[in-house]
Amino acid sequence: MGVKIKRLLGAAILAIGATSGALAEDSITFTSWGGTTQDAQKAAWADKFEAEYKVKVLQDGPTDYGKFKAMVDSGQVDWDVVDVEPDFAYQAAKMGLLEPLDFSVIDKKDIDPRFVFEHGIGSFYFSFVLGYNPQAIGDQVPTSWADLFDTAKIPGKRTFYKWASPGVLEIALLADGVAPDKLYPLDLDRAFAKLDSIKKDILWWGSGAESQQQLASGEAPLGMFWNGRIYALQKEGAPVDAVWEQNLATADFLVVPKGSKNKEAAMKFIALATSAQGQADLANATAYAPVNLKSEALLNKDLVPLMPSQHAETQITLDLNYWAEHRDEIGKRWYDWQAK
Amino acid sequence: MNAAATSGTFREARAAWPAIAFLFVFFALPVGALMLRSVTDPQWGLQNFSDLLATGTYARVLFNTFLVAAVVTLMSLLIGYPLAWLLVMLPARWQQVLLAILLMSMWTSLLARTYAWLVLLQKTGVINRILLSVGVIDAPLPLVNNLTGVVIGMTYIMLPFVVLPLRATLATLDPALMHAGAVCGASPWRLFRSVLLPLSLPGIGAAGLMVFVMSLGYYVTPALLGGTGNMMLAELIAQTVQSFLNWGLGAAAALVLLCATLALYALHMRYLDEDA
Repeated sequence: MGVKIKRLLGAAILAIGATSGALAEDSITFTSWGGTTQDAQKAAWADKFEAEYKVKVLQDGPTDYGKFKAMVDSGQVDWDVVDVEPDFAYQAAKMGLLEPLDFSVIDKKDIDPRFVFEHGIGSFYFSFVLGYNPQAIGDQVPTSWADLFDTAKIPGKRTFYKWASPGVLEIALLADGVAPDKLYPLDLDRAFAKLDSIKKDILWWGSGAESQQQLASGEAPLGMFWNGRIYALQKEGAPVDAVWEQNLATADFLVVPKGSKNKEAAMKFIALATSAQGQADLANATAYAPVNLKSEALLNKDLVPLMPSQHAETQITLDLNYWAEHRDEIGKRWYDWQAK
Repeated sequence: MNAAATSGTFREARAAWPAIAFLFVFFALPVGALMLRSVTDPQWGLQNFSDLLATGTYARVLFNTFLVAAVVTLMSLLIGYPLAWLLVMLPARWQQVLLAILLMSMWTSLLARTYAWLVLLQKTGVINRILLSVGVIDAPLPLVNNLTGVVIGMTYIMLPFVVLPLRATLATLDPALMHAGAVCGASPWRLFRSVLLPLSLPGIGAAGLMVFVMSLGYYVTPALLGGTGNMMLAELIAQTVQSFLNWGLGAAAALVLLCATLALYALHMRYLDEDA
């Protein structure tokens, strides 16, 4: 019995070793946020990459920064290309957690310069917009971020992104009358004071799906949302609308964790993902905008008005360098304030 | 327990060695390694613990964690005790039906059940709509994104963990004791207080402790049904690791929780030993 078990164990260990060896050679692992966005990324990028390079693309997720760092620290890196939020991309680069991108493989000539740096390149370009549910909101319709803080004009809960990340503090300052070109460095005292004024009316969403649920059900008749989530609700027939005035633009970034075992294939994958076609395919599925300026011609004309790139006139770009510098300090204060 | 019995069980425990080895390698070692990080990451020392206590947040979250666990334990016992009694008293066939309902809820995904509560409890949810249409209330009750939501959701999830051990305890009680009490003229309330309750105390203690300890480390349900003002410790730990990438601080927070849990367990064992 004992011997048998040992043999079985031995065989199992061998089998695991053999498969992981095989996996390391002709596959890469792409990690993103799950849900409709990752489905679209798989269809637009991974399936095409597999067909073109005969390299399997394994999907994993959701992105978890704690896991990301633990992998790099331990040298046991299972992820090759990861979709991360912009502030994390910049901070991780500073912490030495990322491989530099190989721009001899990835063509950055046509990439929107706001969304490419040495260690990361835009995955898709999105905006925080003011979303509302006309059926749940009453007679007054919001027109600006200031209305999000005006509970006398529009009563009810408003929902905000839960994590310490670019967006909420900027919105509070804009609502308080700070001029867009004077946003940075953020006046944290002023921002938190503004948030305090409506704290008891705030609901928080921790994930895109949660934000959609809150808005569609009317639990929170208005709030800040990723534009693609509003579009996805509209596509399902939910009665929701977006205000694009002062939309806050940024991008998710594709990065390669330091110590990735399939660096070369990862670079090729990123090259395909950020090509004009790759970006256009993803944009057409999600209403997020392409980071490749040449994608414009390939976009679905019906969707274009719903993309952040069409709302550039009052758009404000979030300052990621500022956030990379202050992410931890803001985070501490943010969570202390939230838990109060 | 006497010495002979102890050594006897020890010898018999040999069969359990593989399981113990498994637990050691895959549970005790990793937990130990993580705990070690609380004093080694980023450097040797107690700076993680001083960071933890530097702001009021941790103390507040810790207090809140114990508060929620206590309320949930109390509610689970209040609802679970009659349910367990019912399970013992019902005819066998109905026992099985009730048990099946109870167990089925345990076999459904935790996440799905928590989301189901969200749908039921929210402002536009089923419960508020019914109460509104019947005219019991004029404005929707705030049942979710607060302490109420967390307690409702967690009590529901913990219920089987109260009912099953309590049922086991109650089933072993001799019905003749109750009959004897009744024959002597005791009221039902008196019977409960003087006979049933004292005899089932060990079961209540075991069930209560189990629920309390499980509640201390709960993550999904409070995160989804609570507001940020009701944050529990598990959520804080996730935040320090995922958002701040600070494994040392997360490990320190986890260590404090572990110590609190172990202390409670020791207290309980002592109390039970005296009881027996």
